[in-house]
Amino acid sequence: MHLDPFELHRPTTVDEVVRLATELAGRFDYLAGGTDLLPNYKMHLNAKPHLVALEDVRELRGHSDSRLGAMERLADLEADRTFGRTHPGLTDAIGEVATPLVRSSGTVGGNLLVDTRCFFFNQSYFWRSSLGFCLKADGDRCHVVPQAERCYATFSGDLAPALLVLDAEVEVAGPSGRRRLPLGALYDPGGDGIRRTRLAPGDLLVAVHLPPGPPGRRARYKKLRVRPSYDFPELGVAVAGAWDSERVRSLRLAVGGVETLPRRFDDLTDPLVGTPLTPEAVNRLADEVQRRVRPVHNTFLPPDYRRRMVGVYVRRAFAEAREGSAG
Amino acid sequence: MPSSEPGPYRLLGGRIPYVEGPLKVTGRAEYTDDIQRPGMIVGRLLRSPWPHARLLSVDVREARALPGVLAVLTGDRYPTPFGVLPITHDETAIAVGKARYIGDIVAAVAATDELTAEKALSLVRFEVEPLPEYSDPRSGLSKVAEPIHARGLLGSNIQKEVVQHFGDVDAAFARAAVTVRFRGRFAGVTHAFTEPMATVAEATPDGRLTVWSATQVPHYLHRALSEVLEIPMHRIRVIKPEVGGGFGGKSDPLPHEIVCAALALETGRPVKILFDREDVFYTNHGRHPTQNDVRIAADADGNLLGYDIEALIEGGAWSSFGTVTTYYNGVLAMGPYRVPNFRYKGQRVYTTKPPSGAMRAHGGTNLRYSIELALDALAEKLGTDPFDLRLRNALPPNSTTINQFRITSTSFVKCLTAVRERSGWDAKFRRLPYGRGVGLGCGFYISGSNSPIHFTPKMPQSTVHLKVDMDGGIAVHSMQADIGQGSNTLLAAIVAEVLGVDLERVHVQRVDSDVSPVDLGSYSSRVTFMMGNAAREAAESLRDRLVAAAARTLGEPAETLEVGHERIGVRGRPDRFVTFLDALHAAMETSGALTASGSYRSPTMGGTFKGARAGTAPAYSFAAYVAEVDVDVETGAYRVPRLWAAFDCGRALNRLAVEGQIEGSIHMGLGQVMGESMNYRSSRLLNPSLLEYKIPMPQQMPKVEILLVGDDDPEGPFGAKEAGEGPLIATLPAVGNALYDAVGVRFSELPITPDRVLRGLDLRAAEHRPWKGA
Repeated sequence: MHLDPFELHRPTTVDEVVRLATELAGRFDYLAGGTDLLPNYKMHLNAKPHLVALEDVRELRGHSDSRLGAMERLADLEADRTFGRTHPGLTDAIGEVATPLVRSSGTVGGNLLVDTRCFFFNQSYFWRSSLGFCLKADGDRCHVVPQAERCYATFSGDLAPALLVLDAEVEVAGPSGRRRLPLGALYDPGGDGIRRTRLAPGDLLVAVHLPPGPPGRRARYKKLRVRPSYDFPELGVAVAGAWDSERVRSLRLAVGGVETLPRRFDDLTDPLVGTPLTPEAVNRLADEVQRRVRPVHNTFLPPDYRRRMVGVYVRRAFAEAREGSAG
Repeated sequence: MPSSEPGPYRLLGGRIPYVEGPLKVTGRAEYTDDIQRPGMIVGRLLRSPWPHARLLSVDVREARALPGVLAVLTGDRYPTPFGVLPITHDETAIAVGKARYIGDIVAAVAATDELTAEKALSLVRFEVEPLPEYSDPRSGLSKVAEPIHARGLLGSNIQKEVVQHFGDVDAAFARAAVTVRFRGRFAGVTHAFTEPMATVAEATPDGRLTVWSATQVPHYLHRALSEVLEIPMHRIRVIKPEVGGGFGGKSDPLPHEIVCAALALETGRPVKILFDREDVFYTNHGRHPTQNDVRIAADADGNLLGYDIEALIEGGAWSSFGTVTTYYNGVLAMGPYRVPNFRYKGQRVYTTKPPSGAMRAHGGTNLRYSIELALDALAEKLGTDPFDLRLRNALPPNSTTINQFRITSTSFVKCLTAVRERSGWDAKFRRLPYGRGVGLGCGFYISGSNSPIHFTPKMPQSTVHLKVDMDGGIAVHSMQADIGQGSNTLLAAIVAEVLGVDLERVHVQRVDSDVSPVDLGSYSSRVTFMMGNAAREAAESLRDRLVAAAARTLGEPAETLEVGHERIGVRGRPDRFVTFLDALHAAMETSGALTASGSYRSPTMGGTFKGARAGTAPAYSFAAYVAEVDVDVETGAYRVPRLWAAFDCGRALNRLAVEGQIEGSIHMGLGQVMGESMNYRSSRLLNPSLLEYKIPMPQQMPKVEILLVGDDDPEGPFGAKEAGEGPLIATLPAVGNALYDAVGVRFSELPITPDRVLRGLDLRAAEHRPWKGA
């Protein structure tokens, strides 16, 4: 397998990126860590003639307790033990991404915007040509859900669920300036495995902002996969909130790795605020989340198993949630 | 820990780091992809996107016309069939007439660079007629519309059928007090060696062809090149650079090796073909997907009365070693226990999938899983401990099996005794809480196939040449193929041991058919036993001449001399000696540089019935493993925290290498149990990548305790037997039986993934069969 030639752009400022992105709209990809994009390019998966490398844009780097630059390497966050103590659930998720080698290149923004995955998509050009291609690349059929008009490729980032439950916001730069939106609003609920986000042409993810959490907030991210490293999630469950035996003060739950988008279940968790978090309440919540998710057979483990694990992982995430040192 | 008692040898029996280790870890060792030749170009293969198709016509004009393209080859140019076994030549370098699986090679190009070559491939136009796909071996058992090969049995896709019956199995079952049955299903697994295949070929104006290739068996490659390209062997030179693992996957002569040579002949330029991982998966030759059915009968005391075994094994598109595989899936049941009556029916069926072939512990692995799980079921029925059942039935040393395998040394009973004690079995078996368990698995394996594939048994299976000159360095030539298992190191150590010299004097030369005497290469766990004996003979011949020269120099009778460290001296007289170099130079006065040769041929053995030679070997290794498992009964995920491995490889000559082989085997065996699986949708391989083919991660490795308990084998070099394949086999049933002890389910389908564990627990719950109170 080989990379086809492409033109590499190396802007140094956000403005320059936005200008390039507007000019090259539809003909480029951002190059962040490259750990997912370049293997996909070698497989000739929707490769573009231009790559805009974000490595030299200083503003995209760095992190604090409340802000993560989109180009911050996962390994840099992992190495910051203060950050880790402050954000236990997020640290779980970072530590579960792929392997140390991948995390030394992989970035926050890259993981949030990582392409969806499917057994019938993440294959070489030869492999796909022998099958007749698919909706997501070069074809017009879905091999997972026949007759499907939308793509069922699976959202495979670990950070999104963990950040969703922290009420993270994303800062986006675009042709009309900067804006901030909740992370959940970055993903398009009307989209599918192909059109995943609401980013417009020329938009650039600049940073993730973490608002202060309630005192005593705990969090946990749990990932299902076949092997303890390397593998993409077959399911990711994140919980965060503040609760004790008396009552729930705040609660968020999000799931990734089972559908085309990560999802938060506020309509299930909001009614629990003010009530005691009993084992029965956790069980009801787990069962309802499990009832709602709809995995399809496009990853290694069968969908009925992944679905069954949703309940188990939700219960365990609550049981294992840890308190962050600075909320 | 392995025992550390000092042995009788200076080097052998110790821990000897690989002689090529410093070159490998510093990146200086030369692998095939490191070979650069002047004017070298790129070879690329066009693979069939069709599972089964008649190739009606092909148009290569556009591809050939592309600037930078030097050759485009299709199957008609070199159509002579080949294959590793002379009786089943059904492969061609490039498909002729039909494509038989997705990934089958249908054309090849040579071009100045990669991009041009790939562009050219896209310009090759085929007109094809789709043919029926046969992805289920059962669909090929009777006459089919379009047999994958014309040689299929009676118009079916059956490549080989074996029926054997020794004793009277029906009578044995009729008088049995207890019978058990276990039916296993095994997904195909592949070797997943580190180095993808690579070949470089160059045809030179002197009329010679040189081929460098990542192969385990340079000699069989040499023969196949000669046959297909119709060039006499002496005009072909095969060189084996360092090889990054094989495990059987590089033991067949492979089509791309012949294609690469053909492209070099066609273009007059050196050509390199380097595989992607996906190519490796399509080349496969991994372990056969298998369904087996094992019935065992025993009397009330637990004496085994008979085995009745059937196996349906899936060959994929080619024969490869399949005839051997079909025998092995039966006859490798003949140890490590006494089996007085034995019946076997095995069928290997072609399918439109990547070919299966030989993989580490070839033919013995899936069979052994089913036997060992059946034996545990038998022990349970008899109310006896799994160890006691096996001890009662252990094959004795110096015995003959009912199918006439000659058993010489066996330390199987010592394996059982040692592993029972070290694992704390008696305190753990059925006594750990629900979800945790221990399991015993045993095995045995051939230490070198007694039947050379291509030779009459009169020719030696291994020859080693030595040359020593003024400098006192000893050059060692042999076509034995070090593929990472440490055979170069063992070869050097045997020579150094016999001659009493430092290891650094011994230089094992790269395998090169121009100068290396034939050894059949690295398969069937034959190298230590056969090459080791040949090396010993060569070194002893050299030693005798050095001793004679020393005797002349010292004026003492030769029989009073002994070889010491870098010296030869009078026994019991430390002051009366000559140095190695002085003895050497004295010996050279008459002949110049000294050369010596040694060889090994295995003794005549086996019966006279059809297939009698399959499974015969000059010695057998034995194993008894205990695994401990810890199952998460809510998710079905499990860990194997501990594994105790008692192994009989005779005398371990290089403990470091033996331990490495055992640990690596356990890792590979665990892979097949826990997650490795070539997954198909009909004939389409779904996971041709190391991301989705789930080799266990380091975190999944148990803490392994190795117990080397073997006694010296009477015919092995310095008492040694194999340790390359046998150590894999016992891993699988040890885990399978431990899972039963943990949760009360005998899992019959491998790999045992978490979803299958949960399904097993669900079934047990539905049948209201409590286990350990759960």
